[in-house]
Amino acid sequence: MHTESENTGKLNKRTITSAVIILIFIPSTILFGVFFLDDRKYFIVSLMIICYAMIPFFLVFERRKPQAREMIIIAVLIAIAVAGRAAFFMVPQFKPVIAIVIITAVCFGAEAGFLTGAMAGFVSNFFFGQGPWTPWQMFCFGIIGFLAGVLSQKGFLKRSRKQLCFFGGLTTFLIYGGIVDLWTIFMVTPEPKMETAIIVYGTALWFNIIHSSATVIFLYILANPMIEKLERIKVKYGLIEKLPK
Amino acid sequence: MALFSIRDLTFTYPLKDIPAIKGVNLTVEYGEFITVCGKTGCGKSTLLRNLKTALTPHGAVTGEIYFDGRLLSEIDLREQTQRIGYVLQNPENQIVTDKVWHELAFGLESLGYDTQSIRLRVAEMASFFGIQDWFMKDVSELSGGQKQLLNLAAVMAMQPDLLILDEPSSQLDPIAASNFLETVKKINSEIGTTIIITEHRLEEVLPMSDRAVVLDSGRVILDSAPKNVGEELLKLNHDMFLAMPGPMQIYAGLIKAQKEMGIDINPNADQNVDPNIDPIIDPNKAAGMSCPITVREGRKWLTEVFHAREIRCRDLDIAKKTENETIIELRNVWFKYSRNHSDAIKGLSLNISAGQMHCIVGGNGTGKTTALALIGGIHKPYRGKVKLMGRELSKYTKEELYNGIFGILPQNPQSLFVEKTVGLDLFEVLEKKTLSIEEKEAKVKAAAKLMEIDDLLKMHPYDLSGGEQQRAALGKVLLLKPKIILLDEPTKGLDNHFKIKLAGILNKLLENGITVVMVSHDIEFCAKYGDQCSMFFDGNIITTNTPNRFFSGNSFYTTAANRMSRHKFSNAVTAKDVIDICIQNLKTQES
Amino acid sequence: MKSIFAAYHPAVNFTFFCAVIIGSMFFMHPVLLCISWSAAFLYSIYLNGRKALRFNIVFVLPTMIIISLINPLFNHRGMTILGYIRDNPITLESIYYGICTGLMFGAIILWFSCYNAIMTSDKIICLFGRIVPAMSLIFSMVLRFVPKFKTQIITISNAQKCIGRDVSNGSYKERIRHGIKILSIMVSWALENAIETADSMKSRGYGLKGRTSFSIFRFYARDKGLLMIMTVFITVISIGAAAGVTNIQYFPSIKIGEITGFGIFVYTAYFLLCFIPVILDVMEEIKWHYFRSGI
Repeated sequence: MHTESENTGKLNKRTITSAVIILIFIPSTILFGVFFLDDRKYFIVSLMIICYAMIPFFLVFERRKPQAREMIIIAVLIAIAVAGRAAFFMVPQFKPVIAIVIITAVCFGAEAGFLTGAMAGFVSNFFFGQGPWTPWQMFCFGIIGFLAGVLSQKGFLKRSRKQLCFFGGLTTFLIYGGIVDLWTIFMVTPEPKMETAIIVYGTALWFNIIHSSATVIFLYILANPMIEKLERIKVKYGLIEKLPK
Repeated sequence: MALFSIRDLTFTYPLKDIPAIKGVNLTVEYGEFITVCGKTGCGKSTLLRNLKTALTPHGAVTGEIYFDGRLLSEIDLREQTQRIGYVLQNPENQIVTDKVWHELAFGLESLGYDTQSIRLRVAEMASFFGIQDWFMKDVSELSGGQKQLLNLAAVMAMQPDLLILDEPSSQLDPIAASNFLETVKKINSEIGTTIIITEHRLEEVLPMSDRAVVLDSGRVILDSAPKNVGEELLKLNHDMFLAMPGPMQIYAGLIKAQKEMGIDINPNADQNVDPNIDPIIDPNKAAGMSCPITVREGRKWLTEVFHAREIRCRDLDIAKKTENETIIELRNVWFKYSRNHSDAIKGLSLNISAGQMHCIVGGNGTGKTTALALIGGIHKPYRGKVKLMGRELSKYTKEELYNGIFGILPQNPQSLFVEKTVGLDLFEVLEKKTLSIEEKEAKVKAAAKLMEIDDLLKMHPYDLSGGEQQRAALGKVLLLKPKIILLDEPTKGLDNHFKIKLAGILNKLLENGITVVMVSHDIEFCAKYGDQCSMFFDGNIITTNTPNRFFSGNSFYTTAANRMSRHKFSNAVTAKDVIDICIQNLKTQES
Repeated sequence: MKSIFAAYHPAVNFTFFCAVIIGSMFFMHPVLLCISWSAAFLYSIYLNGRKALRFNIVFVLPTMIIISLINPLFNHRGMTILGYIRDNPITLESIYYGICTGLMFGAIILWFSCYNAIMTSDKIICLFGRIVPAMSLIFSMVLRFVPKFKTQIITISNAQKCIGRDVSNGSYKERIRHGIKILSIMVSWALENAIETADSMKSRGYGLKGRTSFSIFRFYARDKGLLMIMTVFITVISIGAAAGVTNIQYFPSIKIGEITGFGIFVYTAYFLLCFIPVILDVMEEIKWHYFRSGI
C-alpha cells in the first residue's frame, strides 16, 4: 500500500512470483499454443498471459494480510470508480474509472492502484455483464494504476495537474485503447494483421478519444480536491503512522 | 466480581489540552442494563470506545479498566472481539458485506469458526431476531430499522457477555427505534447479556435501565437508579434535565413552582384524603412523591396531585397567532414516481401561511418527504396545482425558485459539503454571484453568526458533530436568501440541547418573515415549536391544526405530556403547558 | 424462469461454465461449435426469456454476421479463390473460417450471458473466498457500496438541485461541472463514513489470525453426482481432442478428420455436457408434471 512496504521483503515476493510466471508459465503457454493450437493460438495464449500477469498482484496482497482500513479504502475507491458513472447519467460515455484509479495510485501507491483498477474492471463488468473482455479490461485498468503508482513513487509523475492530465490522457489512449481492442483482433481473425488492426482501431478511435478526454477533464477538475481528501483520510485513518515497516 | 470496573480513567485526545474524560470510576455488574447519558460532546462515546481496545481512539490514557477481573489491555483482541459486542450509531456504515447472511457470519469468520458452527449460530440469530424472511436478501434492500437490527444480530452471533450500544437508535424513526430498544431489552432479560447504552431519547430507554450514569464535561456526575437520577439532577438544577422524559420534566417544573411560588402540590397534604387507599398498594402515594419516569407513572402521579382538588380550568388559553396570507397552496395534487408505481400523493390539498412554521408529521412511507419535494418543485404533480405566492409553481424558472425563494435543507446535511473547511463551504454557495469579495465575506460572516457557527469556520465539515453540521448546511442554504425554508427531519440524531438551539435559530428566521415548512417524526419538537401541524397518512393530509388542538385531538399520536395529562386537562400538549395549567389550577385552589 | 441448475453448488456451476467456455474457445470444429452455440442459445432464452431473445436477435446475431463477413474481406489465406474484391482474393476457406468464428463468438457471448445469470455474487465469493479471501471480501464490500453510493449520488444531486445546480439541464460543460461536484461530495462522504465501517470490521475481529470463509452453499450428493458426470464428459472430450477428432484445419485448405465411431462418441459427450442445464430443467419439468398428476 505504501512506499516503505515495497522496499522490503514484499517486493521480493512479488518478484519471485512474477519471475516464476514470466520464466515458466508464460513460455510454456506460448509453446503450448504454438504446438497444439492452430488458428486460435493468439486469442487463447494472449488471454492466458493477461490472466497470469495479474496473479502476482493478487497473491502478494493476500499474502500480507491487509488491515481493515486498507481494505475499506480500496473498496470505497473501487465502488466510487464504478458508481461514479451514475453522477454523469446525463453525459453518457463519461467514465471516471481511469481518473480515479490514477488518483488512488498516486496517493496510495502502485499496489493499491493496480488492485483498484483491476477490481473496478471486474465489478463494473459484474453489473454490465461479464464477457471475454473482462480480463483485458481488468488488466488495462490495473496496469495504468500500477504505472501511475510506480512513476509517482519514483518521482517521475508529480502531483501536478498538468502531469496527471498528460499521463491520464496518454495512458487511456495508448494502454487502454491499445490493449483492450487486442482481444477483438485476436478473436476475429486467425492471426493479427495490419489491416484488421487498422479497422478495429479505426472504429474504436472516436470512442478512445472521448474516453481519454474524459479522463483528462476528470483529472483536471478532480485531481487536486480528491488528492486533498485522500490525504486527509490517510491522517484520519492513521494510515501514515501505522505503516508496516 | 464485577464485569467491568473502571478506575480513575482519564483520556486525552492528541493535540488537545483538556481531557475528554476525567477520573471516571464506574462498575458494571453482570447482567446490568446501564444507560449513559449526557450532552453531545460530554465524552460518552469516548468512554464507551475505551471499553474495547480495537475501537479505542489514539490518545493518552491513564487509569485502569478491568474486564472480568483482568486488565483490559492484557486481554487479547480475540477474547475482546468475542466477549464485548459493540453496536455503533449509523446503521448504514456498520454493514460490511452485501448479503444479510454474510453479515451475520462476518464476526464468526474472523474468529475462525468452521462452516458447521457458523451455520448453526447464524440460524439461531436469524430465528431469535426474526430475520428469516430477509435472510437471503441484499442489504441494500433493507430499511434503516432492519439494518440496525442486522448489526445487532451480527454482533450477538458472537455471543458476547457485554453489549455496548452507542446511540443505536438515533438514526431510526420512532417505530423502528422502539422496536430496536425492545429487542435490546429482550436480549438483556432473556439472555442475560449486560448492556451499556447511550441514547438521546431517554423516554424509552430509562424505564428499561437498572442504572443511569450522567456525564458532564468528561466527569461522571451521577450514577444511580433512573428515578434517583431525576431527583438528583433536579437538586443540582442541571440542564441535563431537559433531556429527561416529559413526565420527569413536568414533575420538576411543579417542584420548582412549589419552592418558588409556595404552591402546595403534595397530594398527602390534602385533608380529605381517602382513607381507603392502602399505602402498600400504592407506594407512590405512601412515599409522598417520587419522580415519575413513564407516562403511566406520570398519569398516576398527576391523578394523585389532583385527587382531592377541584380542577377549575381544563383548557389552557393559547394566544392565537395572527393568520397570515397563504404563501403556498396545494390543490388536489396527485403524484407517483413512475407509471408503474402506485400513487405516492393522492389528492393532497394544503395551505401554508407566510411567516409560520408548518410541521408535517406522520409515519414512515406515508409520502411526507414526497410532499415536501412537490412543494419545493423537485417533483412535479401529474394532476393538480401547486401555487406559490398566487402564481403557479411551474411558471417560475429554476433560477428564481432556488435562488431567492426556496432554501431546502436535505435530510443528510453531509450531502452539501464539498470544501475542506466550513468557511470555504459557505463561500462555495456564492461562487456564481457577482459580488465583491468583501461583500461575500460579510454575507458569510452574517450567516455564520446567525447559525452560531462563527468559531467553527476553520474546521473540516466532517469533524463537526451532527448538530453543527446541520447548522453549517443551513447556513449554506440561507446564503441564497430564501423566503421559504423546507426541512426534512431536521431533528434526526440531535440531542435536546441542539434541538433547542435549532428551534432558536428557526425562531429568528420566522421573525425575519421566513416561512418554515418541515417534515418530522419528532412530535415533541413539532408540538413545542410549530405554528401549524398536519398529519400525513397514505398520501394525503388527514388533519391540520395548531399544535394544541392537533395533538389534543389525537390519542396515540401525541406527546408524552399530553398522554400523561389528557384525563385531567383538555389541551395541554407540551411539558410547559402541563406545568402552566397545573400551576393555574393549584393557585386557584389556594385562593 | 429460475433454472434448477442455478440451485446446484457454485463449484458445479463454475466447472460447467469453465468447461463450455473454454471448449467453445478451443474447438473450431463446426459440429462442436454448432452444439455449443445451440445449447447456449437455448439456455440463455430459458434463463432470461424474452429479454434474452431480444438481446440475441438485436446484438448477438448481427455481430456474428459481421464477424463472418469481416473475415473473408481481410483474411486472404486459403487455396480456393472464389473471386476478387479490389484485387484482394476472397477464399472459400476464409468464408468458412469467418462463419465458424462468428459461431464461436456467438457461443462465447451467449455462454457468458448464462454465466451472468447463474453466477451471482455470493457464488463467486463462495468459490474464491478460500483462495483469495481479502479480494473476495473487497468484492463483497464493493457490491455493498455500489448501490449505497448510487443512492447517495441521487440524494446529493437532489440536494444540489435545491441550491440551484441542476445536472439535468444546462450546457454540456455545466453538466460535467455539476457531475464532478457531485462526485467530489460523494468522495468525501464515502471516505469519511467508511471510517465507521472500518471500526465495525475491527470490532468484529477482522485481522485476527485464522479467519475462515463461511459459505451458505452446501455440497449435496446431487452436486457430487453431477460433478462426476461432468468430469467423465470432460475426460472423454479431452481424450478426443488429444486423439485429434476435434481438429480442423482451415488454411491453406480445409482438412477435417473423417467422422469415426469414436468421433461420434466424443461429439455426443460434448453435446451432453453443453446441454446439461437444459436437460436438467426438462427432467425437472417432467418430474413435476408427473408429481402433480400423481396427487
